Amino acid sequence: MTVSIDQQQEPKRDVTFRVFRFNPQVDSKSYFDDYTISVERGITVLRSLNYIKEHVDASLSFRAFCQAGICGSCAMRVNGLSKLACTAQVWDELAKCREPGIIKVEPLRSLPMIKDLIVDMDPLVSKMTHYSNWIDSTMPEAEMGRKEFLISEEEFERYDKATDCILCASCVSECSILRANKEYVSPAVLLKSYRMNVDSRDSIHDLRLSELVKDHGVWDCTHCYRCQESCVKSIPIMEAIHGIREDAIASRGAKDTSGAKHAEAFMEDIEKKGKLVEATLPIRTNGIVWTLKNLLPMAVKMIMKRRTPPPPPLVKSSKGIKIFRTMFREMSEHVKEDQKSHKK
Amino acid sequence: MKRYAYYLSCINESMTKEVDRSIDLWQKDLGLELVKLHETTCCGGSNLDYVSPKHFALVNGRNIALAEKMGLDLVVSCNTCLMTIRTAKKKLDESPELKKEVNELLKKEGLEYRGTSEVRHLLWVLVDDVGLDTIRKKVTVPLTKYRIAPFYGCHILRPSKVLGHDNPLEPSSLDQLIEALGGKTIPFEHKNRCCGFHTLLVAEEESLNVAGEALAEAIEAKADFIVTPCPLCHTVLDGYQSKALKQAQIESSIPVFHLSEMVGLALGYTAKQLGIKRHMVS
Repeated sequence: MTVSIDQQQEPKRDVTFRVFRFNPQVDSKSYFDDYTISVERGITVLRSLNYIKEHVDASLSFRAFCQAGICGSCAMRVNGLSKLACTAQVWDELAKCREPGIIKVEPLRSLPMIKDLIVDMDPLVSKMTHYSNWIDSTMPEAEMGRKEFLISEEEFERYDKATDCILCASCVSECSILRANKEYVSPAVLLKSYRMNVDSRDSIHDLRLSELVKDHGVWDCTHCYRCQESCVKSIPIMEAIHGIREDAIASRGAKDTSGAKHAEAFMEDIEKKGKLVEATLPIRTNGIVWTLKNLLPMAVKMIMKRRTPPPPPLVKSSKGIKIFRTMFREMSEHVKEDQKSHKK
Repeated sequence: MKRYAYYLSCINESMTKEVDRSIDLWQKDLGLELVKLHETTCCGGSNLDYVSPKHFALVNGRNIALAEKMGLDLVVSCNTCLMTIRTAKKKLDESPELKKEVNELLKKEGLEYRGTSEVRHLLWVLVDDVGLDTIRKKVTVPLTKYRIAPFYGCHILRPSKVLGHDNPLEPSSLDQLIEALGGKTIPFEHKNRCCGFHTLLVAEEESLNVAGEALAEAIEAKADFIVTPCPLCHTVLDGYQSKALKQAQIESSIPVFHLSEMVGLALGYTAKQLGIKRHMVS
């Protein structure tokens, strides 16, 4: 290996790794251990942890395999953000420390703890099973191995990026909704589901979609974009989530959900008034019974504060709504044409 | 005077009227002229983009084209409108075919989307165009006695490829503004986290858990108030606060101010003038 002059001249630095520790067999609660080691430029967080395990504290536990950003096994939170320890440069992390010179290392969130930096991936695997995150081939078994599946480049592009996922679970750890409810499908599983559902070789699209639109499924995503922002492979995960939603709205059998109704209300209102009619949005999303039960006490308080959205007749249409509507409707015709030619 | 086209967000026209009212009070003080675009329509609230990507491009191409017609940048004071309109702009700028299709329709109204106007948050305009030094000089009632928790919200930070103003991991523009107004920001882990707004009607319990965590941190840190540049975040953190804190079993409360109200306070306007009395939590 050639070492650059820059690296040779770079002095070593003492860096403290503040590492989360917890052994459920011994500890009643978690704690942090500080390990200060001498590190030179170009060293990753994972190599530092390996050094600590080999030379300082053999009891420190973490998962790592390929050490090259391919296998996804060493995801952990470094300075608060979920990422791969094997591609996180110590020098880069030093610039992000809350306390100068101290790199904080913690396990991923939202997955059960096994020991130290190791989390249990089984709940994620169970969800992948639940949402059929595999291709169930349309090809009859007798033809398998005899015939090729030909995929157009256009189709491949739809899931090309999604296939980059290495299941490191960084997005799972960063997800806002999963943190609020462990039952939530989770971004990685939505990404995989999308990837399978747009594959023409797959035969269980409808079954998968019908699970995805149920409670704790695709409509529970709150559009925070944390998954996408933390993805170690820069996969646009939100596009996949939106892709599933677009599909659900277009599929007759998957539309009868509060999520779909809520989303479609925007389309209706924009066409009608150019403005969102917020007063009736809860009713259109969840029905009158839910609205009365959930929002009535708050509505009373809001009326007193003159904070309630105006009733539909009082929502003023955008200026020039008539001409806007003709454009909007003409675009609806374009969309219909697109769908026709897509079906062909 | 610095002139901008101003986008009217649906929520600021209905539930959070105090946002635009407070901006109207002080815009001249800071040398700003925000020209309201009454022809603009709802951006689609981060939903229209998947319900119908083409209508999404048309609606927001038109919203931007209205500003372009005046030769002005479009200023937005709702995070989700900002993210949504900027996303549409990116799509239009990257796809000549989509742009052509949208422009064919916009012709009917004598409009054309060219891609010449920027779409910016009011916070960015304050920090970058007005400038912190100017703001500092205009402050008449510095917020010295307040410890303030800055809650940026998601859609002013993420996706960073679309927003790109602040580092989504360590945002600073709101902190800088608070300091310029004489206030003190507190370290706030939830500053770049989510408020849960977009699932309030679909997964309320989850949304309230998300909001409850942020509120709990600000309360525990003994902040005097939370400030947010987004009326949607405000709707959850203020409007749903009692529900969220009840779910989190916390018996306390914390006021939540809009960015525009905080600026107004420091420029000498009263809580009543700024509409702060309209909040659910006082």
